Amino acid sequence: MILIVNTTNDCGITGSLKTLLDAQNKEFEVVEASSLDIKPCIGCNFCWLKTPGICSIKDDYEEILKKIIKADQLWVISDTALGFIDHKGKNIFDRILPIATMYLHFKGDQMRHVPRYDGQTDVGIIYKGTLEREYARRWTERCALNFDSKSLGVYSEEELKEAAACMS
Amino acid sequence: MHVLIINGSPRIKAHSNTDKIIDKFGEGLKEAGSTYEQYEVSDRKQWDAIRDAFAKAESILIAIPLYVENIPGLLIEFLETVPARQGDADIAYILQGGFAEGIQLRCGEEYLKILTKQLGCNYKGTLVKGDNFSIRFFEGKQRDKVTGPYKNMGVIFGKNGDFNSEECKKFTGPEIFPALTRLLIGTIFKTVAKKGFAQIAKGWDCTTPLDFRPY
Repeated sequence: MILIVNTTNDCGITGSLKTLLDAQNKEFEVVEASSLDIKPCIGCNFCWLKTPGICSIKDDYEEILKKIIKADQLWVISDTALGFIDHKGKNIFDRILPIATMYLHFKGDQMRHVPRYDGQTDVGIIYKGTLEREYARRWTERCALNFDSKSLGVYSEEELKEAAACMS
Repeated sequence: MHVLIINGSPRIKAHSNTDKIIDKFGEGLKEAGSTYEQYEVSDRKQWDAIRDAFAKAESILIAIPLYVENIPGLLIEFLETVPARQGDADIAYILQGGFAEGIQLRCGEEYLKILTKQLGCNYKGTLVKGDNFSIRFFEGKQRDKVTGPYKNMGVIFGKNGDFNSEECKKFTGPEIFPALTRLLIGTIFKTVAKKGFAQIAKGWDCTTPLDFRPY
């Protein structure tokens, strides 16, 4: 399943994506997150050591987390700030910590947390505004390591066709 | 030199590893004859005061825990509200994280160069080091063993005003561990570390296994 989390308040982007994906008969789910209550991760470590797998922050993110666990792909649509995705977009990624366990292992030549679940969720970014694109690509590649998955790339709102082509 | 130190950690000060690092670093700064003032991004009540201090400071240092390969969402949220300087301030960073290898922090470090331009400041380097996850669980000498080395970095920063010296670069430690070391650490992860985590969890009244799947 393709999960699309839109943290901007521009429903035009998700509207266009829906048209593109429907035309390709692809299964997807859209979460309009800009009106949801999603707080930043506060690094309390509770999801690793006190209530394993469960975030201590009780807000609308829990429903998104449940969907991420089951999704084959996570696409985050984000506004930009300071040359990167803005805080609303970044918070979606910072809050994924419950999908990892406290346990550690080496994945290739680097340490990683042992994943809590079996599935792998690839990650992609669609942005509105301007950011340092080469950097964003590098970041998304690294970010995917946290999902034990791969990056689907970084696309501007002008490149929805290209993004949709990578959705499956 | 007077340094504005901003603790960019979203975790409250009492449990902030970054705060304990700043403590030691600050000792070194003072030893080098510098002074500093410190603020916490985790406390939204301080945001107006940090903005004011940021607008006036000549030397700024942001200490940051790595959150998913970059700076934490809360720090981004704060910085989105900070007016850029006009090239009239120096900025440096302490970037720290849990994983031990230097390579884990390089993507975050790269962003800090972009951020510096966005903030209209002059980049004075980033002190990069991992292996800091345990600070909050340690006290006394055990904690000092982890945070202590930051004191000397404070002395150097107090003298040089940047993290460009070889000594600061070496502070990171290995970029990746050699294969044999990985084998050894991997064994520790499965044995000693696993027991240690279970012990901490027990102390936190955790009643489920650490690999529990709630969903």
